Amino acid sequence: MSRPFPYTYISCPCADTPVPDPARKRRSRESPQKPTPERNTETSEDQGETKQPNEKGQDEDEDEEQTFDPRSPRSNFSLYPPEQLLYCEDCHQIKCPRCITEEIVSWYCPNCLFETPSSMVRSDGGRCGRNCFNCPACTAPLAVSTIENVTGNSSGQGPWVLSCSYCLWTTLDIGIKFDKPTNIRSQLQKMTDSTTAPTFDARSRQGSRAFGDLKSPLSNFASIDEQSNAGERDAEQSSSKEDATPTPHLGAEARFAALKNFYRTQISETSNSPNDPLSSEFGFSSPGALNRLMSLYASSSRLSGLYGGNKKPKSKPPVMREALTASEGLRIASEDTDTALIERIPSSDCGWDGVASITQRTEQSPDVRFVDELLPLPVLLRTKRAKRCKSCKHILVKPETKPQSTRFRIRLIALSYIPLPTLRPLAQPSASSISGLGPTPDLNALSPLRPYHVLLTLKNHMFDPVRITLATPSVTPGSVATKVTVLCPQFEIGANSDVWDEALQNATAPLSDRITGMRGGEKVPEAGKVWEKGRNWTTVVLEVVPGTLPGTQAEDGRASDIDIAASLQKDEDVLEIPVFVHMEWDAEAQLEQQNVGKASKPDDLVARELAYWMVLGVGRIQASL
Amino acid sequence: MPPKAAKGEYIETDTGNKISRRSQIHGTQHIILGGKTVIQAEAVIRGDLYRLPSTASTDPSNPPQPSNAPSVAITVGRYSYISKSAVLRPPSRLHRGVHSFYPLKIGDHVFVGESAVIEAASLGNHVHVGAGATVGSMAIIKDFAVVLDGAVVPPGMVVPSWCVVGGRPARIVGEVGEGYGVEGAEGGMARERYRVVGRP
Repeated sequence: MSRPFPYTYISCPCADTPVPDPARKRRSRESPQKPTPERNTETSEDQGETKQPNEKGQDEDEDEEQTFDPRSPRSNFSLYPPEQLLYCEDCHQIKCPRCITEEIVSWYCPNCLFETPSSMVRSDGGRCGRNCFNCPACTAPLAVSTIENVTGNSSGQGPWVLSCSYCLWTTLDIGIKFDKPTNIRSQLQKMTDSTTAPTFDARSRQGSRAFGDLKSPLSNFASIDEQSNAGERDAEQSSSKEDATPTPHLGAEARFAALKNFYRTQISETSNSPNDPLSSEFGFSSPGALNRLMSLYASSSRLSGLYGGNKKPKSKPPVMREALTASEGLRIASEDTDTALIERIPSSDCGWDGVASITQRTEQSPDVRFVDELLPLPVLLRTKRAKRCKSCKHILVKPETKPQSTRFRIRLIALSYIPLPTLRPLAQPSASSISGLGPTPDLNALSPLRPYHVLLTLKNHMFDPVRITLATPSVTPGSVATKVTVLCPQFEIGANSDVWDEALQNATAPLSDRITGMRGGEKVPEAGKVWEKGRNWTTVVLEVVPGTLPGTQAEDGRASDIDIAASLQKDEDVLEIPVFVHMEWDAEAQLEQQNVGKASKPDDLVARELAYWMVLGVGRIQASL
Repeated sequence: MPPKAAKGEYIETDTGNKISRRSQIHGTQHIILGGKTVIQAEAVIRGDLYRLPSTASTDPSNPPQPSNAPSVAITVGRYSYISKSAVLRPPSRLHRGVHSFYPLKIGDHVFVGESAVIEAASLGNHVHVGAGATVGSMAIIKDFAVVLDGAVVPPGMVVPSWCVVGGRPARIVGEVGEGYGVEGAEGGMARERYRVVGRP
């Protein structure tokens, strides 16, 4: 992960929970039962304050068995920066992006920031239906500009083009101009559907219906189909612009619509029952499609003859035919297409620069081979999503619908519950014999076998004071054994108070910081003592002695970097400290959980606790001493 | 971490702006700093590129513009941080044959990384622009967006809120978490950043 040192990650406990059936997790409609109820950190009310719930016991067991290894491959999936984590108030658990489900609240275009109604999203192909396009050559947004206004006399007139201000591509490169600066997508649609040659002008508006041009001589033979379906097809054509990447040659969209129509009519003609769900609007992707296939097999297989032999076998299912004519969407590749392509590629007017790159072609119709066939890409829509807890289905995040708004209706982020960890190196104390009261150490080059002091600040965002217990393996896992000592593993963090207090506190903070800064020179980290304490934060000292990298010669220190690099895994020299955080606090009991029987006293407190691993990225260990 | 500056490196204004003596600020009367803004050494802020009513310093043949345009070139909000060697210059556009400058608005809690070049029309609140990034002319970066190090945001691009853009040209490569911008966490370090600047 590429965050600058020092960083902190928090491990979501979901990675440790054994999942009996991996498929179960994928199912979004999971039973609302928690996979591991023993992980629930809530102390039930019949338990006293001192009684440890199951979870604690289990974690201690785990502790004895193994500590969290930030380098294990599994950790990749559980470590998140603190701001990405959510917190479910019902499960009393940290929720990472893997333990939530998402629901789309709204679609919007990232370029014009207009919301697209969900009914329009499908018909627009999930792309912006206005004037927003990306450059097919470099993906930068395209701007609508005129080409004849340089003199300033005909401003607002004249043909319009889309131009990329990053790579200077314009639609003139593919010979497209627009009549008006609005509704470009439909203009483009008409052009690409109706024309057969790549050189066209929007002013030739005739033939906007794609099928007129699609008719080949063969289409006469299919005139019956054509007539019967023409009206439906036209409606289909105008209502759905399914695929937004047409080719200039044949009108891929029109062809797609034709094929889709063809198969729809085939299905409706060949379906057995009149109320076959396939013939309805939902068509191919509906469960009925599977039903149909299954019944096909069941009726034709011998098994049905065995088991249902006494029944009269059903009539042979009618066979669907494939598209036969161009009007049905058939396209026959001409024989010399490939040779023409091959001849064109090395020719002087094409060359390397004229061939579309793979990345360009992935966004285009499969027929596009050359840069002069690239079409502007309507901007893909983005979504605003609400997030739910996967296990209890409670909503954790719900943004406002409007694309421009950055506010949330509901936002249960982990930072409001767990203390925010920040890490900072302490300036080298003068007691250190190697350097005097030097500057803060360079975290990208920590010398091995030299003690460093790191300040870990935990800031509480809850309105209750929290008792924290930190634990860390005395030697970090991995091949580089770094000794770590938390000088004060148990401490308390004060409660957060409201915003005004904080503002006042901030006004005085520099002064107090300065005092401590002055004292910082004399201040020596002491075991069992908190380094510094504020209203809702506490700082403790970690003593870190980085281990030597394998291959480092302690005596001569002349191991070459190449040897070390070869002997090390990637980022093996990064010093990451796993820290187990256990927090306890007395929360006000929530109404829905308890006290229905009891008389609810205002000072009714429930002891809660939460435990998780976090990883402190301190720095990178130097190879030489 | 900002480097420890020599004593007296920063001028602190009444509203708490900390401005390095070694920064290059042109056209100060066209720049509004919201207070508690940090401008580091060798940063270049081009307040002199404001929208002119009729003078010909930027364009010799321009017709007179409507003079109701405010002559503010650059607005910077509170707790914003302009790193070393960053360049802020107002965006410009050729409109109907006239090349003119438009104001550059920077919101609160914005971080502009080292040697980044900002020519955007606006940077929202809590925007993070990485080191060496370039934000092209008339680009709009909405609140809580992140521009990664070395990214080139093409001119005229709009980066929606909560989005992370990177690459050349910049594309949306991800989203920041919901906790982004919480005080003290990623995206919410502006006060802390401000506090440590210029301390001996």
